[in-house]
Amino acid sequence: MRLRRLTYSLCSVLILVAVAQAISAQALDISSGGLPTITGSVNGSVTGNAAVTGDLVVTIDFGEVSPLNPNSIVKVVVPIALRSNQPYQVAVSFSGLTNANAEALQATDVGLGIQNMRLLGGAGQICNQSTHIIRSPFNNDPAVTATVGSNGRVLYPSSLGNLSGSTVVLSGPELSKNNSIKRQQSDGYVFDVILAVTPQFFAAGISSATLIFSIAPGPNVPC
Amino acid sequence: MFKSTKGVLKALAITALLTMTAAVTCAQTTGSVTMNATVSNFVELTSGGAVTLTGNMGGSVITDGTANSPLAVVVNLGELGPANTNSFVKLSVPLRLRSNVAYQLNMVSSVAGAGATAFSLKDTDVGFGLTPAARPANLAAGADTNSTPGDPTIGGSTDANGRWVFAGANSTLGAYAVSGQVLTGPRINQAVSANSNTSLDVPSIFAIKPQFFDPAPAITITAQFTVVAL
Repeated sequence: MRLRRLTYSLCSVLILVAVAQAISAQALDISSGGLPTITGSVNGSVTGNAAVTGDLVVTIDFGEVSPLNPNSIVKVVVPIALRSNQPYQVAVSFSGLTNANAEALQATDVGLGIQNMRLLGGAGQICNQSTHIIRSPFNNDPAVTATVGSNGRVLYPSSLGNLSGSTVVLSGPELSKNNSIKRQQSDGYVFDVILAVTPQFFAAGISSATLIFSIAPGPNVPC
Repeated sequence: MFKSTKGVLKALAITALLTMTAAVTCAQTTGSVTMNATVSNFVELTSGGAVTLTGNMGGSVITDGTANSPLAVVVNLGELGPANTNSFVKLSVPLRLRSNVAYQLNMVSSVAGAGATAFSLKDTDVGFGLTPAARPANLAAGADTNSTPGDPTIGGSTDANGRWVFAGANSTLGAYAVSGQVLTGPRINQAVSANSNTSLDVPSIFAIKPQFFDPAPAITITAQFTVVAL
């Protein structure tokens, strides 16, 4: 008798937890938006999930970014998919690139822009009362907007140097029509993260950094 | 009855666990982008522009220097015998250096076709020196160390036999029959773009005093510069 009660209780708790997770898990989701691409690199590469239902796990090797790379810029485009049944915001945090030498690669030497917010497919929610907002100053393609500063170093309107803690870069109304607990091919939006490094006379060395993209409930805007 | 209830409960529990697991694997609220980049040592030597030839008689610039192009200058120094009444035949070849690391500029030279007697033109009869200026503000801070005495037409004197001797150590091609350092210094460029026009421009000067050398119709003097990262 005791065993039966215990089992009932355990079952109830598990079912409640499962239902709660099912509801919350589908509310906000970030995933790969397709295969990332790289151009202008020497010995560089990029890997990621080709499927929009795959997790967002991207590894970029910009390759050589000294003048040994004769290209004008190394550009990487990372598509990221979003799904939600509520208003959302996307934030980015980053770690790494702690070069003490000012002549070495710094966070400000890696351009970061966001472009091309678009429907993933027919199950994406089209809202007429609110728009998806790319937060300032990230709405640009750093490979196009790069300029040369007075000291000869390349400047970007937005770079990793603009990230402070967890920085919101995008927000908007709900993204998905359905309430499926599983990712589907067309039930959200996709946008491009553009990263760019101009080959320069940086101090020699190898640099690493990691960006974490996260989606969370955003400002309560109507659909 | 008890057994069947137990079975149903077990099934429910397993279903709940599976549902929970499925939900966890389907949605993510974070994703990562990991980045790496490499900056290798970079040193570069190119032409700093057009050469200057003075004091020559019948000489000419055959292949001139072109700024930022590979250094491949060819010059006819002309008459080096007493028929040339100028005090020196002087050739100035601008070198252009760029780097993101400390560098060392080396040179190796040779003289051929001049004959082998004591009165033939020797590598010690060809004066050589670099005349680097202080770095401009648009370059990385630092001082360059010149291993040569500078302009070889400055100073110098005749020896006991009346032959011209250039002043100072490492002041002639005789010091560079084997590759040797002529200039060294810390990184040259600031962190500027690869196509930046900032560079360390150094005149390299070659000088010969016309003298009663043995006649020789085709003397070939070569100097090859190489820059390496330190």
